[in-house]
Amino acid sequence: GVAPLGPLALSKECIHHIRILEAAQRHMPHPSDSERLRQYLPRNPVPTPSYYPNGLNHCDTVEFFQRLSTETLFFVFYYMEGTKAQYLAAKALKKQSWRFHTKYMMWFQRHEEPKTITDEYEQGTYIYFDYEKWGQRKKEGFTFEYRYLEDRDLN
Amino acid sequence: RAPGSGPMGMMYSGITQAREFDDPPGLYEKTEYLLREWVTMYHSPKAGKDSTNAFSLFVHQMNLQGILKTDELITRFFRLSTEMCVDLSYRVLIDQSIKSATVTRAKCFHTLDAYVRLIALLVKHSGDNNNTVTKVNLLNKVLGIVTGVLLQDQELRGVDFQQLPYHRIFIMLFLELSAPESVLEAISPQILTAFCNTLYYLRPQKAPGFAYAWLELVSHRVFLGRVLALSPAQKGWTMYAQLLVSLFKFLAPFLRNVELAAPIQLLYKGTLRVLLVLLHDFPEFLCDYHYGFCDVIAPNCIQMRNLILSAFPRNMRLPDPFTPNLKVDLLPEITQAPRILANFNTLIQPASFKKDLDSYIKTRSPVTFLSELRTSLQVSSEPGMRYNIPLINALVLYVGTQAIAYIQNKGNTPNMSTITHSSHMDIFQNLAVDSDTEGRYLFLNAIANQLRYPNSHTHYFSCTLLYLFAEANTEAIQEQITRVLLERLIVNRPHPWGLLITFIELIKNQNFKFWNHEFVRCAPEIEKLFESVARSCMHPKPS
Repeated sequence: GVAPLGPLALSKECIHHIRILEAAQRHMPHPSDSERLRQYLPRNPVPTPSYYPNGLNHCDTVEFFQRLSTETLFFVFYYMEGTKAQYLAAKALKKQSWRFHTKYMMWFQRHEEPKTITDEYEQGTYIYFDYEKWGQRKKEGFTFEYRYLEDRDLN
Repeated sequence: RAPGSGPMGMMYSGITQAREFDDPPGLYEKTEYLLREWVTMYHSPKAGKDSTNAFSLFVHQMNLQGILKTDELITRFFRLSTEMCVDLSYRVLIDQSIKSATVTRAKCFHTLDAYVRLIALLVKHSGDNNNTVTKVNLLNKVLGIVTGVLLQDQELRGVDFQQLPYHRIFIMLFLELSAPESVLEAISPQILTAFCNTLYYLRPQKAPGFAYAWLELVSHRVFLGRVLALSPAQKGWTMYAQLLVSLFKFLAPFLRNVELAAPIQLLYKGTLRVLLVLLHDFPEFLCDYHYGFCDVIAPNCIQMRNLILSAFPRNMRLPDPFTPNLKVDLLPEITQAPRILANFNTLIQPASFKKDLDSYIKTRSPVTFLSELRTSLQVSSEPGMRYNIPLINALVLYVGTQAIAYIQNKGNTPNMSTITHSSHMDIFQNLAVDSDTEGRYLFLNAIANQLRYPNSHTHYFSCTLLYLFAEANTEAIQEQITRVLLERLIVNRPHPWGLLITFIELIKNQNFKFWNHEFVRCAPEIEKLFESVARSCMHPKPS
């Protein structure tokens, strides 16, 4: 650098400021300080080698999420609550005909055409994702009441 | 400014009340009990969406404890709660048994986030639904209290001060209050103002221990977006410009010296990043406030200033400066004045000097005005700080705009022949010839600060600089003009358009006999540099 006007002795106040800044630098703000608490996947910055990927481009689009496996989508849905990723995962799941049950808090997909369909419910065999056992299960003769169907438009 | 009774008054009284300790007996215990209750309720599964259920139960408890009886008690409740949250954070942060930063944070956020939600809910539900005044006043009061607690904490703990609890409270509260709800949307301009005032109050100059968190807050994407993109009538722009000016002012004395301490380097790097974001997303903002920014940025911070001066309105297409035979005078934008959101006329002080200046511009007399000009700009005899830089900047821009108006009034447009032989040019030539090296450097920098995107100022000052070069009576002036241009071009991109145009004209146009000057060949590396610049200007790569 250049100092065309020549260096200038720092004032007492400036020297004090540097001292305080030096101390503040020892406990810098953490990236997680300015975002909502991530319960399951907290940020954990570590130095990674430069030849490792440092993030992807365009990974915050529905198209990207549609290329992910259903299990990945369920993982994002349950472990990244309240994020844009959760929203995109829900959107991708809906596009793949999964429906969210607001009482059981699980995703259901028709295994076959329902045996009965009324205005209030439908009944038949369904595949669902059990977040406790962490796997897909089949349920025969299940009644999906429409009042538990999450049917908000995700725009 | 004297504190009034409006939102600002509330903030001031909050700051003052943060230093009161004569609490009524039992209040501390009550507050501690309530805060603990609330944190439990907030984290309970029964709290309901946005803690609504928990909140109605909690308000009932606050009533039972008599906290909501008077404004005075509510204020004290907030002060004590803030202190308790901060104390808890300190206990967690210095707890040696916690090894991981994640666990430390989770523990701090457990209480801080609950407290923030409580503030947000109390603000939203204070007064009637339509009573915006009460809500805004309460918000300002609470922000004032947190500010006051912070300042006092910093004063008491010195180098042991921690930014975390305050940083968390401010950003989370801002995010909570930015939620898409009609109650909040109705007061969103006041919310922005309240946060901008808080940040201004806590600027690095006042709270150096909070500087890094402060920069995080100022550059947070939600905050930046709301202040610059969503705030109506660009009121947010002025407030945001004020925050940036305070940052530049803080950095200036350090940046002016070459040796940068590590903590300053870090803050400087962050500042450059913010400027890059602004240049990319809000170039019009940098355009409008460039004058005020350049006034406070140290003269040797070339890149920082280039970032600001490179900004141009997004709808504008800039012709490639390397286009052969580019006719700058024929560009339609060249007749339009840029918007300057700074009152530079009033910066010309004292009033008697302004009067003499105006009179000289009008009558081109007395000549003594010119001979006394240098003394009018000088403030001390200490090398490196001899001149009043803001006054030089204001004088140059003022005389320039007067000159443009004068030329246009005569039905002409500024060009190499119309700008000459006038009172305005007398002043400029006098400054170029009569100043010492330091004064001339500052004067030429003030001109170069106007070399930006195609507009009437850029064009006028480009012609002026070239004219001063051509008419210089000594090579020292020409060398200094070259120096000012070159030092702004040898740094990394971006480079302002007008700066490139002016430099290319200088080395290409045979009239200036640029290559005949000795300083071009003063050192082999300088000579090489000029040749490489010349090559890129004369033979642009086909694209």
